[in-house]
Amino acid sequence: MRTDLSPRLRVALYGLMCVLLIPFVFPTWWMITSSVKPISDIFAFPPDLWPRRFDFSTYSRVFELQPFAQQYWNSAYIAAIVTAGTMVVSSMAGYAFARIKFPFSNAIFMIVLLGLLIPSEVTIVPLFQMFLGWGMINTHWPLILVPIFGAPSVFATFVMRQFFIALPGELEEAARVDGLGRFKIFWTIALPLAKPALGAVAIFTFLHSWNLYLEPIVFLSSTHMFTLPQALTQFTDAYGGAMWNIQLAAATMTAIPVLLVFIVAQKQFVEGLAHTGLKG
Amino acid sequence: MAPVSLQSVRKAYGEVQILHGIDVDIADGEFIVLVGPSGCGKSTLLRMIAGLETITNGDIRIGDRVVNDLEPKDRDIAMVFQNYALYPHMTVATNMGFSLEHRGGSKSEIAERVKWAADILDLSHLLDRYPRQLSGGQRQRVAMGRAIVRNPQVFLFDEPLSNLDAKLRVVMRGEIKGLHQRLGVTTVYVTHDQIEAMTMADRIVVMNAGRVEQVGAPLDLYDRPANLFVAGFIGSPAMNILGGTLEGNQFKAAGVTLPLPAGITATGPASYGIRPEHFQISPDGLPATVSLVEPMGSETQVTMTLGEHVVTGVFRERVAARPGETIRILPDLAAIHLFDAANGQRIN
Repeated sequence: MRTDLSPRLRVALYGLMCVLLIPFVFPTWWMITSSVKPISDIFAFPPDLWPRRFDFSTYSRVFELQPFAQQYWNSAYIAAIVTAGTMVVSSMAGYAFARIKFPFSNAIFMIVLLGLLIPSEVTIVPLFQMFLGWGMINTHWPLILVPIFGAPSVFATFVMRQFFIALPGELEEAARVDGLGRFKIFWTIALPLAKPALGAVAIFTFLHSWNLYLEPIVFLSSTHMFTLPQALTQFTDAYGGAMWNIQLAAATMTAIPVLLVFIVAQKQFVEGLAHTGLKG
Repeated sequence: MAPVSLQSVRKAYGEVQILHGIDVDIADGEFIVLVGPSGCGKSTLLRMIAGLETITNGDIRIGDRVVNDLEPKDRDIAMVFQNYALYPHMTVATNMGFSLEHRGGSKSEIAERVKWAADILDLSHLLDRYPRQLSGGQRQRVAMGRAIVRNPQVFLFDEPLSNLDAKLRVVMRGEIKGLHQRLGVTTVYVTHDQIEAMTMADRIVVMNAGRVEQVGAPLDLYDRPANLFVAGFIGSPAMNILGGTLEGNQFKAAGVTLPLPAGITATGPASYGIRPEHFQISPDGLPATVSLVEPMGSETQVTMTLGEHVVTGVFRERVAARPGETIRILPDLAAIHLFDAANGQRIN
């Protein structure tokens, strides 16, 4: 942004930004404040921006109604494995497509990219059949394998390929003269330089896995195997009515890692996508 | 140190011939410069010596080994790239010791070699910095340091000064030449800058369109270019070339008749070459109309029309003529170059 704005214009711009922030900040604010309200206060009209009464027992009830700590762990370790796996697969595949000449590499890359065009709703039934055949239903394997070898990884491969294409060829040639083979060039030269792109891949892969909803409800059936997005739908009373304040308390805890990731790694994420020539 | 020999080296991409059979022998410890216009194949030839390009045909020998099928790391060469190719995520010291590290050198040996190279190139105070924290000249020196630290048999330089400003280029030219004199390693240096070639080389290989036009010592090329291409390429400002006809002891060009030295027996269409500094101002000279006067301080460069030809003269004396005025100039008959009009080869 230009820094030579007049004070008046600056104030006006900041005012406009504050107004534009409302639609984005209000839902989060509403979620956090409602998680500590009694359920009767949540739908009060006009809505209260600040709770009239605080009820923090909602947070303890989350853990009483569901094996929430187990579900939290499920989401966390699945997201961690998916993130690590996707980084390995996408960096190697992206490097191969960008830097290694092999027959039909462009055509193969196009076929791989076509995977992005197929919605997960289309492939979910065949995938269910496949994992059923492998005896993996109601295990976490589908939630790990599908993202690592599916659309999220394809997008990550695309991002990594774009980064590696822009890497100066002379660096690799210098490494060849210095005595490095192909894998060592990848490992010691290309990969360390790809940190910004890898960072971006790690962030969006983690978030994608953390927020995964369709696959868990198809592949998982036991409460203790659930991941967080699926668990959030389970906070209902005996008649199936949503227990909003408890559900929002669970949602707030679910959103914390997402918010932390964005706050800590926002710069890395934007820089990573900028390096690849993609828009965030 | 080792001699390098190129024998009938060819390069083709599919049907397109890039190099048409290059034969050059480079002596042990020699500093040879490959020079030519963009696209002439000089960088390709260097990359073939390095092992970064395959050889379509012919042999490349380093020392007594044919290296055609050897990987770059097995050729015992070191290369300095146009953009330096320093590893951005490594410090100067790590960059310089990187190849030794991957060849299994001990830490103490690597540290010792890096220190030795850093001392030579005045890099000792920069060893902990990253390439992004260095100036262009410092990066260039690190690239050279990375090359010398391994003590290779051959140094290869691919237009290493082209990213530097004019002043720094002159400084680095001297440093590279000084380094060669100190280490005595066989060096192959690619440039499109003929001044770099003239000032640095023991011998120059002039290339054009994938062929060697002439190989020789810088002043031999300057004084006796083998053909029109070399005559026009070597020297700045370029040699004046006038098309015309040899008739007896005269050369008839459009609008002007030029004298020839004694002993020229050839007749017929030819090209008459004379370097700008081989014109002198003389009352007995040929009339030339001045179009541009460029005083350089130590000399004056004058662009003028001689007959129907635009020629350039460089004079030690100061020229007071203004554009549009006529001066009289005389070519130095001992410094005239005659070329066959059909094939461009030297006649005299």
